[in-house]
Amino acid sequence: MRAETLLIRLGKAVAVAAILFWSLFPIVFIVTSSLKPGQDIFAVPPQWTFQPTLQHYVTLWTQWGVFFRGLWNSAVVTVGATLLAVIASTCAGYVFSRHAARWLELSIVGLIAVRLIPPIVVTLPLFPIVNRLGLSDTHLVLIILYATFFVSMGTVLMRTFIDQIPRDLDEAAAIDGASRLTILRRVIVPLAAPGILAVAVFVVVFAWNEFLFAFIFTGTNAKTAPLVISEMIGSIDGVDWGVLFAASTVQLAPVLAFVILMNRYLVAGLTAGATKG
Amino acid sequence: MGVVPLLAPVQLLLLVVVILPSIYVVWLSFHVSSFGQAPEFTGWSNYLRVLSDPAFRSAMWNTVVIVVVAVHLEMLVALGMALLFNSGIPFRRILLVAVLAPYAVSEVVAVAMWRFLFDLDIGPITLMMQTLGLPVLEWSYDPVHATVMIVLLTIWMHLPFTFVILYAARLAMPSDLYEAARIDGASRMQCFWRVTLPLMGPAILVALLFRYIFAFRMFSEVWLLTGGGPARSTEVVAVYLYQEAFSYNAFGTASATALLMVAASLVLASGYIWLLRRQVKNAR
Repeated sequence: MRAETLLIRLGKAVAVAAILFWSLFPIVFIVTSSLKPGQDIFAVPPQWTFQPTLQHYVTLWTQWGVFFRGLWNSAVVTVGATLLAVIASTCAGYVFSRHAARWLELSIVGLIAVRLIPPIVVTLPLFPIVNRLGLSDTHLVLIILYATFFVSMGTVLMRTFIDQIPRDLDEAAAIDGASRLTILRRVIVPLAAPGILAVAVFVVVFAWNEFLFAFIFTGTNAKTAPLVISEMIGSIDGVDWGVLFAASTVQLAPVLAFVILMNRYLVAGLTAGATKG
Repeated sequence: MGVVPLLAPVQLLLLVVVILPSIYVVWLSFHVSSFGQAPEFTGWSNYLRVLSDPAFRSAMWNTVVIVVVAVHLEMLVALGMALLFNSGIPFRRILLVAVLAPYAVSEVVAVAMWRFLFDLDIGPITLMMQTLGLPVLEWSYDPVHATVMIVLLTIWMHLPFTFVILYAARLAMPSDLYEAARIDGASRMQCFWRVTLPLMGPAILVALLFRYIFAFRMFSEVWLLTGGGPARSTEVVAVYLYQEAFSYNAFGTASATALLMVAASLVLASGYIWLLRRQVKNAR
């Protein structure tokens, strides 16, 4: 490898700094601002040294109980949707990986075609139906919707991951008398764990952050955290920025930690999902 | 056929939530219907009404502009970043995680950030631009500036996705190709145009296709940032659709809008992909 000139190194350093600033500045800014006392949020130029305070979090806790209910709802919906999507995708991905038939080929084309339909399109017919079934404003409706919009990608992804597991393993288990379900549980699931985690990352991030479905299908009982934050933004009394930043930080922290922790699976999933699906 | 129970959950979910409702949307788009009324067949009149509605045309135009500008800018930046990452920089793993971070941010929180950063009275970016004597984004009342904000926000949120796909494609390329090109006397530029770009072509196509289709359904960013205003000037198709259905209760025209939206995104994506594919083939 040729020695890099000083100029090229400098250029790279500037580019890296710009990338870091672009990606992280808004996040760092919102988190630090949530800890700034009252007027310091609006100080010009922005203050980077300040006496950190939890006052906005206290206000959030005392005046925005609805936000914490929203967090709970988000957690329930996220866990439910992730379980449903992961289980359904793993089962279907296993079939698509291990069995070949004309109708299966057709149905995988169908799976991919389904992804072309925008979520907002299905809200039109589902809105009256959900209302009539009394499912409006429940966790269940969001769990089903969120899971559904990831099972097609999840299935394709799981097939890609399961394809990499040698067939000899399930054949050996079958000779030992294991049923299909046992093979799936004892052989496939442990070995396809990276794929399962990749699917889980996608669904968790989507379900925790989703706005449109929550906006249309929930009102009071099942209202999720993003919806409460959107109400803070749109508040007619003027935005209380400190509380908004505190709420944003609380909503963002767990999912950001999750993405950082799972970054390997996220990258693997994005790569496999994009090239194969 | 013993596999049917394993396939059932996925097929059932898709059938009930996506496929049957989509068929119903097609049916609805040929009928006039609003809450509590019996639907009545009207032929193509919903489509004609939507297509002749100035608000729809402006929404469609905004969507196309935002999609075309945002997706291409994003692609250029992501391509540059993928090559930079590949050229050997320190702390690559940590930097990769930093670049991924916006992927975790919800649309709602991203809008909160950007509304504050670009607030006309107190936004730090606005104030910084003013001190530097640069023009300020008057996004809350200038539709063009609002569109710029939407484009910036979209790129910020989706850059991780495009970057990861391109970077993975670049990593998968064998390095001996470059050695061979060097030995044959190729310059850096020639290496880029003749080796890197054609080999990354398929990944670029896939990323573009995904981003086209997903950018076309953009709703939350616009809804939360401008609400489509001022005076419906920044509406995109999904916001127009939402207004028709849930503000004006016109489910027939909303359904026609939905199908036009799917059709337009397919046409845009497929025409584009077809062109690019031909170019990639010619370059080889």
